[in-house]
Amino acid sequence: MVFQTAALFIRSRGPDAFWRKRRIFKLSAHFTGRKRNCYSIAVRYVHRALAYATQSRKLKKEDMANLWTTRVAAGCEEHGLPYPLFKDGLEKSNILLNRKVLADLAIWEPYSFKALTQIAWTKLREEDDPELNEVQETPPSNVITRGLLDK
Amino acid sequence: MSALGRVRQWNAFSQVWHLFDAKWQNPFQSAAVITKYLMGKHKPFYHPFANCGDVVVVINSRHIALLGDEWKKRVYFHHTGYPGGASWTLAWELHEKSPTMILEKAVYSSMKGNLQRRHTMKRLIIYPDDIIPEDIHTNISSQIKQLRKVPKVLESDEVNNFPRIFKLPVDYVPS
Repeated sequence: MVFQTAALFIRSRGPDAFWRKRRIFKLSAHFTGRKRNCYSIAVRYVHRALAYATQSRKLKKEDMANLWTTRVAAGCEEHGLPYPLFKDGLEKSNILLNRKVLADLAIWEPYSFKALTQIAWTKLREEDDPELNEVQETPPSNVITRGLLDK
Repeated sequence: MSALGRVRQWNAFSQVWHLFDAKWQNPFQSAAVITKYLMGKHKPFYHPFANCGDVVVVINSRHIALLGDEWKKRVYFHHTGYPGGASWTLAWELHEKSPTMILEKAVYSSMKGNLQRRHTMKRLIIYPDDIIPEDIHTNISSQIKQLRKVPKVLESDEVNNFPRIFKLPVDYVPS
């Protein structure tokens, strides 16, 4: 049996009501109250749960991305560099790490992460980034680049 | 885990007590910074479900600075729940009644309304002046940087003793 759309699939009536209901009850097994065992109520809540699950697959990715941003921002502000500048500096240094990897580095490899902030900072200094003037912390002195030597 | 690693973990996960001097600070901008420390968003291992927030002790909340004519224009709403129980209090009136409440409300409303908010607020301690009880003072080990510099206020004798180019006569009336 081929279903052209999802709506037809839902509307489908199987030959045996037991198996048709069982498919729904399996999905409502962890509910409480009558929405667990009464079919007509269970099927409504299962449909709603499936709709939530569909939405949440996208939301989960957004939530994780936001969490990584918060973590990376916390990590680089520990060393005195604001997050937008850090991101900018890394991009200009051609260090193409995503937020997930940066967040992992900030937690598990704090010294590597510190080195990344220093590289980004030095690159911005080399290019005389005007936004760097608002940063009050002292810039790192242990990174030497060709551009800085030429100055 | 090695002894060094264990100590490092204790240091990372210990609750730090921060001090924030609210003198001449905008309470609403300060609230955003204080919230960050209360929720632990300044730590790279922050997670909303983890109890990783720090304690913030705010001093000098009596000396906060509001922008422009906000003291006269900002209104705090309260409703007792009974009919006719609504009341509107101006910021300067509220500040006279309780010198800590404007800052407390600013921090409270700068956080998202969820079940965690009231527990996070318990980690905020506000004092109207710079007098801190001894048991709280001993815990403080860090200070949050002020958002803006406290401007210098000239004392009256400092103004009087300032060198003058010429002295106006006592009965001088500017025309």
